Amino acid sequence: MIFWEIAKRNIRIHLLRSSLAMLGIVIGVVAIASMGILGNSLVLAVSDSLKTVGDSVIVTPHVGGTMGGFSGGAGGSSSLRITEQNFQQIKRASAPNIAIPVLQTSDRMKLGVGSDEIVAAIYGLNPDDVPDLLKLKEGGYSRGDSGVLVGSTFAQDNNVKVGSRIAIGTDGNKGTLRVTGIIEERGMAFDVATDSAIVVTKDWFDQAYNRSDYDKVVVKVKNLDDLPVVKTAIENQMNKRDKIVDVMDTRKTMETIFQAFGQITTFVSAIGGISMLVAGVSILNIMMMSVTERIKEIGIMRSIGAQRKEVMSMFLYEALILGFVGSLLGGIMSLLGGYAISSVMLQTTEYLFVPSSMIHIIYGMSFGIVISLICGIYPAWRAANLNPIDALRHE
Amino acid sequence: MDDQPVMVFKDVVKVYPLPSGDVTALDGVCFKVEEGEFISIMGPSGSGKSTLLNLMGCLDTPTSGDIYISGTRTGDMSDKELTELRRDRIGFIFQYFNLFPLLNIIENVTFPMMLKSQRVVDPEKARAMLRSVQLDDELFTHTPMEVSGGQQQRVAIARALINDPDILLCDEPTGNLDSKTGAGIMELMSELNRKGTTIIMVTHDPNIASYSRRTIRIADGRIVE
Repeated sequence: MIFWEIAKRNIRIHLLRSSLAMLGIVIGVVAIASMGILGNSLVLAVSDSLKTVGDSVIVTPHVGGTMGGFSGGAGGSSSLRITEQNFQQIKRASAPNIAIPVLQTSDRMKLGVGSDEIVAAIYGLNPDDVPDLLKLKEGGYSRGDSGVLVGSTFAQDNNVKVGSRIAIGTDGNKGTLRVTGIIEERGMAFDVATDSAIVVTKDWFDQAYNRSDYDKVVVKVKNLDDLPVVKTAIENQMNKRDKIVDVMDTRKTMETIFQAFGQITTFVSAIGGISMLVAGVSILNIMMMSVTERIKEIGIMRSIGAQRKEVMSMFLYEALILGFVGSLLGGIMSLLGGYAISSVMLQTTEYLFVPSSMIHIIYGMSFGIVISLICGIYPAWRAANLNPIDALRHE
Repeated sequence: MDDQPVMVFKDVVKVYPLPSGDVTALDGVCFKVEEGEFISIMGPSGSGKSTLLNLMGCLDTPTSGDIYISGTRTGDMSDKELTELRRDRIGFIFQYFNLFPLLNIIENVTFPMMLKSQRVVDPEKARAMLRSVQLDDELFTHTPMEVSGGQQQRVAIARALINDPDILLCDEPTGNLDSKTGAGIMELMSELNRKGTTIIMVTHDPNIASYSRRTIRIADGRIVE
């Protein structure tokens, strides 16, 4: 492989300019791979925080819909509720999956003598449904109406512990409840976002706010493949004549979110790709210089019997070496860069060493090698097609 | 080798089309080169010597007429076939040696072996060839830039001979050497010729031409003697 050897030696003899060309490829690979890793890590991070709610169908009153079987004021979408009768229809349509009715409001509350009043979301749930929907990290589920569960962020921000008391309403006019448990962090949730909220019993909610119609119904679907079936069954049951409920398949929604993240990742990686194109132009430039400097050498090779394809291979090897070494260094630096970015932006590197992140390094390196080869083709072709006589005369 | 001439030129014309008008570099050139000959080609500058050498070396094709190398007509050959012909049957020696600066001396000599389709590299043959052109063993691993002009030309001769060509084409082989070194190179070429190598040499130096056994003189694109 004498042409491979010549290509290697030519790079070594022009180490500075070869290194500069490789630096371009390194930057290109780092840009593509780091952006890809960051995008993928974000997707994984969001996916982790959403995975607990990816098994639900959420039924809410149709905003702007007719009043149909719903209670509430004429046309006021904020007052739309799901009645007990509608809930029973939804429950039947989604059986054997569990349908959980949810009451929701927000109110002032005070967490101790002398503390400031705060406003937080309040969920009203049937105590029997709570274990199906929420997991506790501390304490126990409240059985009586005087108990309340609090979200983890709520507990942390307000220094609330199991046994603390919360006075609900202005000056505690709705009553005082005792914290029986702290709910595990749920992250972003489509069903009940409890992290910064409190959860009371349905009966207490009815009595305190004087209403028993529901704000939404959460259907926990056991077999994820049944999600679309359950969604369709509820729609068919409830929206026969008029559209009176909106039914959201959380997995579908998550897929849409991930798709959007995927598009963002592709977009930022494409921006990284532009730097790779610039690096490719640099390789092209170096290769053209290399051909111009070695015209006489090419003439000698051709005159003593080197075929065009052999001359071409010599320059392609050179482009390949530049691309491969640059991409390899870029791959290593992407790993380090990805580690740094993940540590700083996501505060964790658990999403870095996974195949879906690592594949971006492979993409970046492959792109680097392919771009270098493509940019080496024209100079190599030009070298191979030089007229041997003109090349020999070249000084 | 059979009895046919190693090279035949039949009414060879070479015209270069230029914007200012066609220039006829060779005009009806005819000659034969028999196996084992040592021929020098002489003529003033612009007489057509280089064009003739390029045609003999299959680096160019004639406008009209026929050229045969060891019985093979070159006119209809593709670029690939002409390259193979140069590789297998012709050895080149240049005025400026034209060794590859990135390769050491042994690698320079073995380079044409690597171009052959079998790609069988025989470094021992290269060493023997270098010894036969009187190059010291200690220089074999040096690069061309590390040896003298005369030594570089010896390496170039070894490289030209490594694939056992039918013809050795030399373009002013001593033109870049001092007279003593040039004489040494010419002694070496005479020795090669005595051993049977066919040599065609372009020169403008009558002293150098005196080493050959036949001289072809060319003027204005025609053979005059």
